[in-house]
Amino acid sequence: MAEQVISPDLKFVEDVIASGGGDLKKCYQCATCTVVCNVTPDNKPFPRKEMIYAQWGMKDKLISNPDIWLCHQCSDCTAYCPRGAKPGEVLGAVRKLAIQHYSPTPLSKMVGDPKYLLILFAIPVLLFLSYIVPKGYLDVSAIPRGEDGGIVYSKFMPVFPQIDVTFGAAAFFAAVCFVLGIKRYWTDMSSGVGAQGNIADSIKTTISEILAHKRFEKCNVTKDRKIAHLLVFYAFVGLAITTTWAIVYLYGFHYDSPYPLYDPLKLLGNASALALLYGITLVTGNRLKNAEKAGKGSYFDWLFITVIYAIVVTGILSELLRLANIATLAYPTYFAHLVFVFFLFAYAPFSKMAHMVYRATAMVFARHTNRES
Amino acid sequence: MAESNTVVIIGGGFSGLTAAVEAAEAEKDVVIIEKNPYLGGRVAQLNKYFWKLCPPNCGLEIQFKRIKNNARVKIYTLAEVQDIKGEEGNLDVAVKVNPRYVNEKCVACDACAQACPSYRDNTFNFGMDKTKAAYLPFNQAFPMQYVIDRNSCAPNCKACADACKYNAIDLGMKSETINIKAGAVIMAMGWNPYDASKIDNLSFGKVQNVITNMMMERLSAPNGPTQGKIVRPSDGKEVKNIAFVQCAGSRDENHLPFCSYICCLASLKQAMYVREQYPDSKARIFYIDLRTPGLYEHRFLKKAMDDPDITLTKGKVAGINEDPETKDVIVEVEDIFSGSKTEMKFDMVVLATGMEPTTKTSQTIKNVSYTSDGFVDIGAKKGIYPVGTLKNPVDVVRSAQDATSAVIKGIQSLRRI
Amino acid sequence: MEKKYGVYICKGCGIGEGINVEKLANNVKGMVCKTHDILCSPEGINLIKEDMKNEGVNAITIAACSPRVKTEEFDFPGALIERVNLREFVVWSHEPNNEETQSLAEDYLLMGIEKIKKGDLPEPNILQDLSSTILVIGGGVSGMNAAIEAANAGYKVVLVEKEAQLGGFANRLYKKIPTGEYFNKPLIVDTDIDKLIKEVESHPDIKVYKSSKIEKTEGQPGLYDVTVSTNGGSETIKIGAIVLATGWKPYDATKLDYLGYGKSQNVVTNIEFEEIAKKGNGKILRPSDGKEAKKVAFIQCAGQRDSNHLPYCSSMCCATSLKQARYVRQNNKDAVAMVLYKDIRTPGRLELYYKEAQNDPGVMLTKAEVKGVSDAGNGNLFVEAENTLLGEKIKLEADMVVLATGMIPTTREPQEYLDGLALAGTKGDEAKAKYIEETPKPEFILNLSYRQGPEIPSLEGAYGFADSNFICFPYETRRTGIYAAGGVRRPMDMSEAQDDAAGAAFKAIQCIDHVSRGVAVHPRAWDITFPDPLLIRCTSCKRCTEECPFGAIDEDEKGTPFYKINRCRRCGTCMGACPERIVSFKDYSVDIIGSMIKTIESPDEETIRIIALVCENDAYPALDTAALQRKKIDSSVRFIPLRCLGGMNLVWIADALSRGLDGVLLLGCKFGENYQCHFVKGSELANYRFGKVGETLNKLQLEAERVQLMQVAIAEYDKLPDMINEYVERVKEIGPNPFKGF
Repeated sequence: MAEQVISPDLKFVEDVIASGGGDLKKCYQCATCTVVCNVTPDNKPFPRKEMIYAQWGMKDKLISNPDIWLCHQCSDCTAYCPRGAKPGEVLGAVRKLAIQHYSPTPLSKMVGDPKYLLILFAIPVLLFLSYIVPKGYLDVSAIPRGEDGGIVYSKFMPVFPQIDVTFGAAAFFAAVCFVLGIKRYWTDMSSGVGAQGNIADSIKTTISEILAHKRFEKCNVTKDRKIAHLLVFYAFVGLAITTTWAIVYLYGFHYDSPYPLYDPLKLLGNASALALLYGITLVTGNRLKNAEKAGKGSYFDWLFITVIYAIVVTGILSELLRLANIATLAYPTYFAHLVFVFFLFAYAPFSKMAHMVYRATAMVFARHTNRES
Repeated sequence: MAESNTVVIIGGGFSGLTAAVEAAEAEKDVVIIEKNPYLGGRVAQLNKYFWKLCPPNCGLEIQFKRIKNNARVKIYTLAEVQDIKGEEGNLDVAVKVNPRYVNEKCVACDACAQACPSYRDNTFNFGMDKTKAAYLPFNQAFPMQYVIDRNSCAPNCKACADACKYNAIDLGMKSETINIKAGAVIMAMGWNPYDASKIDNLSFGKVQNVITNMMMERLSAPNGPTQGKIVRPSDGKEVKNIAFVQCAGSRDENHLPFCSYICCLASLKQAMYVREQYPDSKARIFYIDLRTPGLYEHRFLKKAMDDPDITLTKGKVAGINEDPETKDVIVEVEDIFSGSKTEMKFDMVVLATGMEPTTKTSQTIKNVSYTSDGFVDIGAKKGIYPVGTLKNPVDVVRSAQDATSAVIKGIQSLRRI
Repeated sequence: MEKKYGVYICKGCGIGEGINVEKLANNVKGMVCKTHDILCSPEGINLIKEDMKNEGVNAITIAACSPRVKTEEFDFPGALIERVNLREFVVWSHEPNNEETQSLAEDYLLMGIEKIKKGDLPEPNILQDLSSTILVIGGGVSGMNAAIEAANAGYKVVLVEKEAQLGGFANRLYKKIPTGEYFNKPLIVDTDIDKLIKEVESHPDIKVYKSSKIEKTEGQPGLYDVTVSTNGGSETIKIGAIVLATGWKPYDATKLDYLGYGKSQNVVTNIEFEEIAKKGNGKILRPSDGKEAKKVAFIQCAGQRDSNHLPYCSSMCCATSLKQARYVRQNNKDAVAMVLYKDIRTPGRLELYYKEAQNDPGVMLTKAEVKGVSDAGNGNLFVEAENTLLGEKIKLEADMVVLATGMIPTTREPQEYLDGLALAGTKGDEAKAKYIEETPKPEFILNLSYRQGPEIPSLEGAYGFADSNFICFPYETRRTGIYAAGGVRRPMDMSEAQDDAAGAAFKAIQCIDHVSRGVAVHPRAWDITFPDPLLIRCTSCKRCTEECPFGAIDEDEKGTPFYKINRCRRCGTCMGACPERIVSFKDYSVDIIGSMIKTIESPDEETIRIIALVCENDAYPALDTAALQRKKIDSSVRFIPLRCLGGMNLVWIADALSRGLDGVLLLGCKFGENYQCHFVKGSELANYRFGKVGETLNKLQLEAERVQLMQVAIAEYDKLPDMINEYVERVKEIGPNPFKGF
């Protein structure tokens, strides 16, 4: 057995503490957490070992470790932890630091830190203002109306180039960051670990597992999370389909929005929005309900939840206000909606949103290396 | 000088007994207020002491002999302190004395029990067997006097009174409240075993063959429910493969945030009980830290480690299930040094449950303050002195030591005012 | 005392049904003899009281239940009382209405009457000019607390400290661990040792001797003459009782070179670390270059829990290192403290301290087996460890290493020296002289002028600590009137030492009280009898002076014993040891027991009769308990209680066998390392004497199996009847004693 040189990284410990792992240092390594965890593999189980690595600031052992993503933060560990060290929250904090580590732009630090919140919002706000201010659209009456005199948001903020180029660029930026991050992550994970089997199979199984949300069923303390997360997840899927569908309408059929409420696209979009609203409300409710046992959650988490909330609320309101023809409220609401959507997309690689990509990758890797079967 | 030369000692367990005989032998008048119908407290329920593996009744015998030979000691059993008024040197202790229904004429001939038609759960044995409603708490009880559990009596039955030739049974006895003047009070109400059913993942009360460490003491004791034969509750099978789950509730802020001190040594000792009774048995102790601080204590750990059939595994058991077929107990644990999470099967599992100070649940004495975890604050009021496990979880040696040290404080109280 | 005898036989509890009480009473000749249905009833008690009043009865034999019960009822002050255990020893443990059972009852009654005939009402032996001053040796936290507690309880105290100032180890500490609550509270607080020192030095009832030693301790409790030497001068002080609080020394870290001690200046002990912190007023400046230490490794159990060094745990080092980790962190937020432990031992509420102390980003802990410390250049060090929670084999770099070394009691060196001397002595005078010449003599503490040696004798397995062997009686030492407290007694932390000191001070006070009343100290704390040897018949064989478990008997050059009564615990070991049978108590003597044995006779040549000498603390209650459960015992056995089996005199065995009794059974308590004897060595000494029984048996040409010693614990009541019955069967197989009827 090779001798391992340990150099404790106090900075990393402090980062974990600042990122939501505030009770990390109370852990005394009893391994209750690993036993009550239903999602960990039996061999070298988590999160006990992650706790001591984090206590000693052993960043290398954590950041590139797929186990931190195999954790779904059921919080069974946190509920049963005899020391109140909240392993679930600690791993959440480590995941945040992992996201930041693999998406190394200044943005990664900014997203995780409330200090920079205003700047992050200022970017889309200024960007979108730059489209409308020159046209004098700050004066609502100056905004052109549709043929029937109704509100048409594309006349306020044209789909092309303003919307599509902006969001296209944001999505591209996010995608590039993700690809780079995942690539580095995969390289780190696979150093010294032999992959086995067919990667395509691993991906396939992982996707089907994600679609079924099987892992969440194993949670005890936060049993109710499955339905909430499932709703949010499928609402996003529905919204993604809606968006694609709209692109097809627009560029394939040159069929412009707004679409009538009976249009299947509209039906899907509205249904997804309602599902998202309900889902994210459940998420929030569960978190508050379980806070005592499972921990309150970090800024990082709550920022993400708040943004989703804001998106779905501003989205639904935009539609309702448009239909009600209350221009003075409709345009600002829509503006806000765009800002929040931008926030979600452009900052996805640095925010909690990134969890879906990293977690999926870690799950594929775990399967591929027989860490999980 | 104080108005009273009396020290009231609340609790007749080992701490209280020690304080009482020590004070009485220094020519102080002593009143012991004991809640149970017998003296000796938790120690009376133990089979053997760690690390010496000697019987606690040996020391109790000496203490009782010292009491029998000392007219300064007065004892109230089945009694509870309701209130303390006054100041150091001049305290007024209100005591409710519950009826025993048996007076001092009792000769312990057993006729009442033989005549009694009703049974009660034997609390001395943690309900693992039954006694008659007229019963002797245990065979070396002091006072050597029967007691009647009226809640378990058949309606209007007076079979016991009819059977008693000594006029020792008085079913009309009533509880009474008495007031005792004291110069100082020593609080020695000890501890209760933590309610293991509160630790839901350890399945006590759900899995039949999961018992607590105090139950294990009774199960191993010659005056226990099985006359000392270590067999499991479900089917009376000899226990050849046993596990001990350390920190069952202790060092756990969901239950008892402190370390109960005695459990590591107690489990080592109980592993030895099993190993001695069944030479072909195996015992495994699951622990977080092995806490055997001191000289003899550490040597005791060493002794256990030298037995190849006692295995010590670092890792806390956090899940317990039952094999429905065999009634074997399956424990879930991470063996930290092998780095794997496993399930292991045992004939019986003992939960090393901790000590909860009695003042956690009952704080009738208002003159002192209590810590967040239910202990009596050490900086307590002058004239009232907590001892032993009311201050900190400790073993018998340290209880006796602490009780002795409290007596000098009591003497100072008697002298000061 | 002119005795007027009265015999009272109870018929209750089955006695009347099990034996013929009238027939039994007919055996009593020439004295008042009455029976009663329930002797312990008010009417029964009154019967006795009336006889005392009207007939002047003052020597009362009560044949009823065990003397362990109904003690309050059968208490008649001013009278000599003998309890004959007809209930437990006869009717509850034997077949009713049987000739043998009846004979058993008769024998017990006759033995009881014989005892009361031979015995006498005791008077206490109160020595004159007793001192009630308490001497406390050692001026550390334990000693100072003992002094204050005793003084506040109204006693004069003399405190002797070896150093020029009081305070002991606490003087060297930077901070201490607080008690009480820890959450949101400071984790290190001032030791306040100066306040304590001031309190001691200004207390009107405490006289402090600094830079002083005990040159000589002569005498006995209440009458010690203690010579204290200070800077060449000396003074002899009258002392009543002594608290030994001389504390501990740290283990010699130079023996821990594998941990880098002595090789690098930056490897220090936990005590040295305190001094560094104290000197830097909280700043940790490492010794080699005075740089502030930023990475400090704490190695727990350094030379502890290790058979090559200290095989025990000093119990306070875990919490101490957690405290010291605080030192590292408090002034330097970039610093880390790394603690490598075997187990974290913070028992009781100290667990809450552990939790708070650990809850600091820069405090890092792992279980580990430290294998070595090596140089890492620039004064830094590598710590290598195995089986850690971080990996199987790890290496840490530290700029300073703190070794949590353990405690060695100050009593250890003198004890080891004296044990060596005793061992050399067994090899002859030459070996002894050689030992004295070659072995450096350590500093003694008490310098007792006792025949059995100048210090508290070593306790097996205690590694020199002046601890008690008893779980139940933590302050018992083998030197009456001398009570150890604090780190010299057992490894303990400062707050425990404070309480411990109070306990020891109390025991000293209690001892003074007892000797002032002529009562024995623990465990026979009611006993006013005392050994009164008939010295004109003494042959100076020294057995009593050697065997007394408490060193109570000194001797002159000729070997004539001097009993120091206030040291005596009244166990009667000297009585058992004496071949001349000259040691007697008023109610307990070789003659009394011997006469009791002589009352037993076999009714015919075939009937077996066995006497059993029984330890009254363990075997006797076990027999009572067996009887309570109605376990049957062979009716050929008669039990005779002894205060301690150490009082067993071989002459009884010789007499019994030569008079035709068929066997002698000795029931003592467990001996060996974990002995249960309340008089330390009673049953072991009995066993030693029992080893010589062979000679007697040989002389009489009797089988060795007729005499047996059994070790019985009080809880073995379930096995004891069978053990006895099996023994009786073996004796029966051997057959009746051929001396029967001679």
